[in-house]
Amino acid sequence: MIFNSWEFASLFILVFGVFYAIVPQLRKWVLLIASVIFIGFNHWGYLALAVSTAFLTFGSGIWIDKYSDDKRRQRIFTFSLVAHLAILIFFKYFGFLEANVGAFIKILGFKWDPTITNVFLPLGISFYIFQSISYLIEVYWEEQEAERNLPDFMLYMLFFMKFLSGPIERPGNFLPQVKAKKVFNYTQTSYGLRLIAIGLFKKLIIANHLAGVLNEVFASVQDYSGAQLLVATLIYPIQLYADFSGYTDIAIGGAAILGYQLSPNFNRPFIAETITDFWRRWHMSLSFWVKDYIYEPLAFNKRSWGVWGISYALLVTFILLGLWHGDSWNFIIYGAIQGSVIIYEMQRTKWCSQWSKYLSGKWFKVYNIIRTYLIFSASLLFFKIEKFADVSYVLRHLFDGIRATYKEINLGMRDHNIIVLSLAIGLMFFYEYANSKWDLWGKLEKRPLIFRWSFYYLVVFIIFSFGDFGATDFIYLQF
Amino acid sequence: MELNQILEETNQIFKHVLNNPNICLTSTTTASDIDEWDSLNNIRLIADVEQHFNVKFKLREILKLKNVGELCEGVQKKIA
Repeated sequence: MIFNSWEFASLFILVFGVFYAIVPQLRKWVLLIASVIFIGFNHWGYLALAVSTAFLTFGSGIWIDKYSDDKRRQRIFTFSLVAHLAILIFFKYFGFLEANVGAFIKILGFKWDPTITNVFLPLGISFYIFQSISYLIEVYWEEQEAERNLPDFMLYMLFFMKFLSGPIERPGNFLPQVKAKKVFNYTQTSYGLRLIAIGLFKKLIIANHLAGVLNEVFASVQDYSGAQLLVATLIYPIQLYADFSGYTDIAIGGAAILGYQLSPNFNRPFIAETITDFWRRWHMSLSFWVKDYIYEPLAFNKRSWGVWGISYALLVTFILLGLWHGDSWNFIIYGAIQGSVIIYEMQRTKWCSQWSKYLSGKWFKVYNIIRTYLIFSASLLFFKIEKFADVSYVLRHLFDGIRATYKEINLGMRDHNIIVLSLAIGLMFFYEYANSKWDLWGKLEKRPLIFRWSFYYLVVFIIFSFGDFGATDFIYLQF
Repeated sequence: MELNQILEETNQIFKHVLNNPNICLTSTTTASDIDEWDSLNNIRLIADVEQHFNVKFKLREILKLKNVGELCEGVQKKIA
């Protein structure tokens, strides 16, 4: 069940109605039942694994919290961590490990017949395992008391608005909200509805329109000219952003209607002047997760190495961040590129500050924003394309036939779609810019009722008129 | 060692590591008050403070610190 489906819309409306109609004490049960339906709708196995993992995390937290002796706590924490990682590795990386171990054994000259070729990949596993690990670390670090109310904890783990693709919630942010009394709030509901509309606009008008054509290009790169590959490479970050930030807007908006505040995941990433800054603005719940739980412990342990220790920690952290996305060498390379560029940028910052007199103008800022976008676009080839050989082909042919005609670089899209897309993308970025400068929705709230509702109907009309309602999954569902 | 003296010496370390001679730390200063104090420089600051005062922190002690004042108090306790 995906957010842009009629099944989800029906479930959400039903949940919303029942949630505010019954007594507050029972409201969390409505969300819990809805979450169980939402997860189990696709496959009962997804539900079974998610619930079993939640039980394991719940029990491990209480077990760690039971002892005050540091060594014993560390032993229990390590055991729990390994158990959670084992679940993730088995379901997500088993095939990858088997293939690579097999290849290595063949290199050594031995025979190897892989026995298991396909392990079922449960939906949302990377997200909820990371959430579990976050909880266990916080309990182990004594930043969070172990939760002893099972239904509350289950809702933290399974809440359907964030289950599939995050945001990855920290226990300190979410658990107190589960315990707080929920009452209907008009302002919060209208805020949530507006976010859902923005999310649908991004997903249905921008991401879905681009998905068809870009999927075709990247699935058979040899069939396209260099200019077409260049255009596809430059546009893909926008599709990915519209898709994932659109999903996140719907998740945050839906949760807000039900009285929950989820963590932000994006903060205008394409204005970042460095890749370092970019990762503070892109998929923030994941990038802050790896910063707090992987980078900082690693860098702290190697602090006596100076800059080398920081570089080592950055590279390992970003390789793991890349690998989190999926079981392929391309994801590892994707992560390694991010880490390497950030290491380079640490040195570049020193160099830039020495020449700050000449390198601080508006044009240098524009240059940095474009540079960051281009680096990220190129690195996304490893994220989007499955075969390394195909990425290599794209990189080698990116600048072939640069004198291509408009007919060629429009990638077969109709003029009407290109006009709609260009306007929609412009509108998305302008809205984000304007909303960061002025309180747009606050200003709208002060307008007369008829003006506001005319505007809302116009947005809904635009979404229904220009949206692509084809059954396209959100990109991050695969993780 | 007096807390003020630790703060003053820590200030010199911050100026050097963050390459900013205008830094003026107080006990309530946090990372959000200084542009250059990010997660990359944080580790270098801790390493230099440890080396300068010849003390060692645990990761959990560092994670619990809320501001520069608590860092200086941590140093004071360790060298006492």
